[in-house]
Amino acid sequence: MIRVAVIGANGFIGSRAVEMLHLEGLADVRPVVRSVSRLARAARFDLDWRVADARDRAALAAALTGCDVVVHAVAGDRDTILGTLSPLYEAAQAAGVRRLVYLSSAAVHGQDPDPGTDERSALSARQPLPYNALKVRAERALLDLRERGDVEVVIVRPGVVYGPRSRWTAAFADDLLAGVAYLVDGGAGICNGVYVDNLVRAIHLAFAPPAADKEAFLVGDAEQYTWADLYRPIAAALGVDLDAVASVAYEEQRVDWWDHFQAARQTSAARSVLSLFPMRLRAAAYAAVDAWRANGRAAPDRWGAPAARAPRATREMALLQRCRYKLPSAKAARVLGYRPSVAFDEACRRSVGWLEFVGYPIRTSSGDDRRRDCAPAGAALREAAGERS
Amino acid sequence: MPDAPLRIAVIGCGAVARRYYAPALRALECEGVLHVRALCDPDVRGTAELCAIFPAATVAQDAAAIAAPAIDLAIVASPPRCHAEQTIAALRAGVAVLCEKPMATTVADGEAMVSAARDTGRVLAVGFYRRFLPAAQAIGELLRSGRLGALRRFHCAEGGDFRWPARSPDFFRRGAGGGVLADVGVHTLDLLGWWLGEPEHVDYEDDAMGGVEANCRIHLTYPDGVIGEVRLSRDTVQPNRYVFECADGWLRWHVHDADRVELGLGDVDAGFRAQIHRVARDGSHPALGAPRGGFEESFVAQIRNVVDAAGGRAPLVVSAADGLASLRAIDACRSRRALMSMPWLGGTELARARQLGGVA
Repeated sequence: MIRVAVIGANGFIGSRAVEMLHLEGLADVRPVVRSVSRLARAARFDLDWRVADARDRAALAAALTGCDVVVHAVAGDRDTILGTLSPLYEAAQAAGVRRLVYLSSAAVHGQDPDPGTDERSALSARQPLPYNALKVRAERALLDLRERGDVEVVIVRPGVVYGPRSRWTAAFADDLLAGVAYLVDGGAGICNGVYVDNLVRAIHLAFAPPAADKEAFLVGDAEQYTWADLYRPIAAALGVDLDAVASVAYEEQRVDWWDHFQAARQTSAARSVLSLFPMRLRAAAYAAVDAWRANGRAAPDRWGAPAARAPRATREMALLQRCRYKLPSAKAARVLGYRPSVAFDEACRRSVGWLEFVGYPIRTSSGDDRRRDCAPAGAALREAAGERS
Repeated sequence: MPDAPLRIAVIGCGAVARRYYAPALRALECEGVLHVRALCDPDVRGTAELCAIFPAATVAQDAAAIAAPAIDLAIVASPPRCHAEQTIAALRAGVAVLCEKPMATTVADGEAMVSAARDTGRVLAVGFYRRFLPAAQAIGELLRSGRLGALRRFHCAEGGDFRWPARSPDFFRRGAGGGVLADVGVHTLDLLGWWLGEPEHVDYEDDAMGGVEANCRIHLTYPDGVIGEVRLSRDTVQPNRYVFECADGWLRWHVHDADRVELGLGDVDAGFRAQIHRVARDGSHPALGAPRGGFEESFVAQIRNVVDAAGGRAPLVVSAADGLASLRAIDACRSRRALMSMPWLGGTELARARQLGGVA
C-alpha cells in the first residue's frame, strides 16, 4: 500500500485526511505534527506518527523516510505559509519521496473570481487580501523548487472547505448562538465550497497520475449552491430562522487600515501577542476597534444610549458572498478522475452531525434540544465560543 | 520548637513540575515548611529550569537515589507509567510520597502502591489538587448538605484543543496513561466520587480507533435516581463547566474559576456569581472575610497537607485509597466501552472504526 505522510496532521484538513485515508484503507498513513502536544487527533489510531516541525529539514527528512507521497496540509500565518515550503521540499528530496501534494487555495483566484476563471487563468500577487497573495507566492515557490528538484509537485486548490472541525461550519454556528451572524446580500452569492471528504478524495487521487505533476487543480463540490444554502441547515439545526439573520449589503471599500489591521493579525508576532489574551478580551478589542472605525470616534459611553449599528462584514466574507461564478473542477475530473463522493445535502447532514458531536444544542424536528440532560445549552456554547483560545 | 523543614525530592521535572509544583514548593520553602533537596529526571536537560529555582538541590537521573534519611517526601510527577515503580521504591526507602494523577496506569499497580504504603507505614497521597479548590469544596458542601434540595441531574463538559506542553508522548500512548479519560477524566471522576459517592451504573463511549481517545462521554446513574453526563475532549472546544440541578436550586462551576461558583435558588429569576470568601464578623453581624484563594494557593494547600500528614499533624485530604478509587472508576468506564457516534464517517470508515476500536 502506498505510504503517505500528512504534514499538519492535527489540523482541520490534515486530521480528516489521516482519518479517511486510514479508515478507508487508501494509504498507509504517517501523521506528522509539529510537537507532541499536537498528537491528540492522530493518536486515536495506532499509526506510526512522528513529531517534526515543518521548518526543520533534518527532522522532516527522518519523518518522511520510506514515504512515497507527502501531503502538505500545514495552515498558518505568513511565516508558516512561506517558511515551510523549502524545508519540506528538500526533506522530501532527501528522503526519496516521489510526490508532494500541496494544499493551496482557490483564493489564488480571489474570493470573487471573474466568470470563466479556471486553472489557466493568470494569477496575480496583487490581491485584495494578503492570504491570497501568499498562496500565489507559495505555489510559485513550490514550482520553482520542482524545476530544480526530483520530487513531483501537485497543487490542489480547494474553495471554502467545510465540514467537521471547519471554521466555516463552527464559526457560523457560534455566531448564530451569539446573535452576531450575518449574511451578505442575503447569502445569495455562490459559495465555492468543497466538503472536506471531497477534498480528501481529490488529495488521494492526486497521489498517482503522472500527468498531474506540476499542475494545479481546482476542487469543489458537484452542486452549485449559495451561502444561504450552506448556512441554512446549520441555522435550522440550532433552531434559528436564517431569514431572520441580518443581511448586510455589500459596499465596495477601499483597502484601508482596518484591512491592514486584519492582515497584521495574521503575522506570527501579532498572533503570539494576541494569543496571550483570552478570546473574549481579544473579541472585545476587535469589537472596540471596529466600533471606533465605524463611528469615526471612540465607542460611546456605556451609560449613553446604545447606537444601533448593523453588523459589518469582514472584507473576506463580503468578497466571498458576492461571488457570482462557480469555479470548475473539470480539470481535476479529467486528469485525476475526481468525482465528489459526498453530495451537498449529505455533507450538510454530516456537518450538523459533527456539531452535535461537539455538543452544540442541536434541535430535533419537534424543536426540542436533542441532548438528554444539557440544560445550559446555548449559554454554554456561547461561553465556549468566547473561550476559544 | 518548630519542626525542621521537610526535605523534598521532585521525581519527574516535566511540565507539571515546572508549572505547578515548583511555584508552590518555592512558596513553602520561603515559609520554612520544606526544602527542595533533590531533582530527579532521566533527561537531565529537563531539570535546568527547576535547578534555577532550587539551586541547592542535587540532580539525579535515577529515582533509586531517593531515600531516607536524606529525603522525607518525594513528589512523583513523572509520566504515569513510572508512578507505581517510583512510588513503591520511595516508600520502601522510607520516603513519604505525593504522587501526581493518575496514580497509576492500572488498578493492580494502584493496589500495589496502597499495599506498599500500608506495609511501610509511610504517607502516600495522590495529586488531586482540585479537592483543594475553594469552589470544589463549596460545591461538595452544598451538594452533600442538601441546601439546594435533592440533586436531580448534572452535566460536566471539559476540554478543548490540547495545548499542554507535553514532552512525553505517553499522553497519547495506550497502556501508558494516555487518552483524555485517564488524563482529565480522572479529575472529574475523583470529584464526582468525592461529592456524590459511587454511581450505581456507568455507560461509557469514546473515539479511540486503535489508539487513545481524544473524546469521551460518560453517563452515570446513582441509586437515588440522579443522572449525570460527563463529556471530555482534547479535540473540540467544550464549555468547561459543571452544572448541577437540584430540587431547590442550581450550581454552575467554570473549571477555570478556582474560587467562584454561580448559583440560583428555586424558581427565582435571579442568579448569583459568587466569589468564595471566608466568613468573618462585623461586630455582631456576619461579613466577608479574606478570599479563599486561587489555583496557586490550592497547590500550596495540597503540599502543605501532605507535609502535615507526613509529620503526623493532620489527616491526609486525598489518600491513596482515593487515588485507587479513581482508577477503579476509570476501569468501570473502560469495561463498558462503546464507540462514540461519529456521524461524519462513511459506511466503510465506520465498519473499520468499529473493528479498530474493538467494539461490535
